Amino acid sequence: MKSFLKSKGFREFLRIALALFIGLGLGFIITLFVSEDPINAYKSFLLGPLSRLNRIGDWLEESLTLILLGLTICIVFNASQWYIGVEGQMILGAMAAGIVSLYVPLPPAPRILLAFLAAMIVGALWGLIPALLKAYYNANELVTSLMLNTIALKLFEYVLKNFIMNEKSRSVSSESIGKEFRLGTFIPDLPFLHNIRELWIKQTSVTVMVYVVIAAVIVVYYLLYKTPFGYELRMVGINGKFARYGGINVNRAVIMSIMVSGIFAGLAGVHITLAIHNKLISNMTSGLGFEGINIAILASNNPLGVPIAGLLYGYLRAGSDVMERSSDVSRELVFVIQAMVLLLVTAERLLPVVRTRIAENQDSDNRNNGSKNAKQLKEEGESHVA
Amino acid sequence: MSLETVIRGIFSSLFIASVIRISTPIIFPAMGGLVAQVAGVPNMALEGIMNVGAFTGVMVSAFTGSIWLAILAGIIAGVLLALLLGVFHLHFKSDLFIAGLAANLMASGGTVFLLYIITGDKGNSSTVRSLSVPNVNIPLIKDIPFVGEILSGHPVFTYLAFFSVFLVYIFLYRTRFGTHLRAVGENPEAATTLGINVVRTRMIALAISGIFAALGGMNLSMAYLQLFQKEMAAGRGWIGIAAIHLGARKPVGVMLASILFGFADAISNQLGSLNIPSQLVQMIPYATTVVALAVYAIQQRQAALERMKKYQKEHIDSLAAEHQG
Repeated sequence: MKSFLKSKGFREFLRIALALFIGLGLGFIITLFVSEDPINAYKSFLLGPLSRLNRIGDWLEESLTLILLGLTICIVFNASQWYIGVEGQMILGAMAAGIVSLYVPLPPAPRILLAFLAAMIVGALWGLIPALLKAYYNANELVTSLMLNTIALKLFEYVLKNFIMNEKSRSVSSESIGKEFRLGTFIPDLPFLHNIRELWIKQTSVTVMVYVVIAAVIVVYYLLYKTPFGYELRMVGINGKFARYGGINVNRAVIMSIMVSGIFAGLAGVHITLAIHNKLISNMTSGLGFEGINIAILASNNPLGVPIAGLLYGYLRAGSDVMERSSDVSRELVFVIQAMVLLLVTAERLLPVVRTRIAENQDSDNRNNGSKNAKQLKEEGESHVA
Repeated sequence: MSLETVIRGIFSSLFIASVIRISTPIIFPAMGGLVAQVAGVPNMALEGIMNVGAFTGVMVSAFTGSIWLAILAGIIAGVLLALLLGVFHLHFKSDLFIAGLAANLMASGGTVFLLYIITGDKGNSSTVRSLSVPNVNIPLIKDIPFVGEILSGHPVFTYLAFFSVFLVYIFLYRTRFGTHLRAVGENPEAATTLGINVVRTRMIALAISGIFAALGGMNLSMAYLQLFQKEMAAGRGWIGIAAIHLGARKPVGVMLASILFGFADAISNQLGSLNIPSQLVQMIPYATTVVALAVYAIQQRQAALERMKKYQKEHIDSLAAEHQG
């Protein structure tokens, strides 16, 4: 037990929990200032998503998108590629999935499969431009990927308005995708689950994407930690030069990290098209582009932490929607809280309570072992300098 | 409208004036970002600082009725956000890139949050009456036919933006502190041994980037338009960062890169009158950025290769000379 309390994982957990606590506390203070009825506003924010079945559904749906985006960023950040072209990959993936589901004359099952495939391929290919520029010419992937996000969004709007848009509908959107071509509910059709299944279908649209997301988490974990590809990718992430001298093909690792991540951004696109909106509609991805970064950072770039972080931020986002509808506080509060948490989580020196306690524990350990490892020495050195 | 009108439009004085006007809100954040980048602390929060500056300027001008107070408040707000970034990076050891993104998130969420509280609207601030900075008509020059239309009659900020290029150049290359700042960016350890306070220097560099980015934001909300809109910077902060790369981290180069983007933007505005789908036309500035970055990166790589070859050749030559001798 004692060793568990001192483990790195637990320390991380404590740090993140504290950051969240401070972030939410700050949110409450802001609410106190701006709301007529701060207690109820904050209550609807914190408890709202659980208050009704359809809200639980909203929360889970939102979280599935966020988890996929988190996985996307997790892959590129593990390779230390500051690539944030997720939004572009997602919107084009959504477009590909939507076009296949709307127009390709195939029976439901193969059509849905093709939609998945198309979105994954398009997501990966859209990453190719910044990936090649970065790998071969060292062009800043951050800027190129951001610019390509805007280009992808404009491309989507262009295709939507000129080729897909349903003339009769008032909003800029396609026709609804046929019921049989959407994703089914995630609860299997078993006799004893029948009633629950009916209830969930009626009130929510949580789909089989749940299983796809679970599989995706496992695949990314396996990919990063159990395959040569993942090893190379992480080595490049830790030290590119070292990796090159170690015989790793850095260019290939960089390109592959961005393209493989695009597959998962494409999946997120499938989810927003075939499960959430059930059609292609203007501004489908609004505000989701950077969420992946929040989640990957909260999960310390560990794919197994991504679902937890995704569910958490999905919960906060769903809660902020409930709060906006039932009180005078607008949902943008959640961005301020998220930003605060992001700052606190990455602040290595902050949250000293945790650090000193751990340091004390380690000190006593060291005395017992009579040796210090290099990292502790370095940390001590840093604290002396400070 | 025909292509001919568009082409005629491009060669008119109004078009050149519009390039100047559109370049202004890119030059500001680019100059700020340049100072921070040269000091070794690339500021990724330029976009957010622009939004905060734009918002604060509009609100303070609406409630105090003083344009100068508004500009001052906008600058202070921008500097505060930049310093928040600095405190988290330099003192609490946050990753600068992530902290910058967090600052952006805070800025875009926070401005809309406050906008809703103050005006009851989430889209823009049109319900409050905010002010705009005066336009400057330069005496004598304004009467010269073609040149006058190009150079005269712009908002104060536009002249300030181009003047700031000169200021940043002088600051970085002709002042003691600027030299320290570059030293800190080149090699912080060496600078420390010379007694330069790295943390303080970088903090000041970030604050300066905050001033410029806030001015860029206010140029949007108090000159370009006379109100604040949600996400007003609309990617200009990021384009500014692209301009820093493209301009090889030199003030004049960065200014020229900014003007290139202004030019692409102005072209896309002109083409908007043609029968081309607007979404495709709107891609032009962003596509230009990507292409320009790619071309620049390819050139850099080739220059590096050539240097390497030259060095190798010299090395082999000198070895051969030794052998003979």
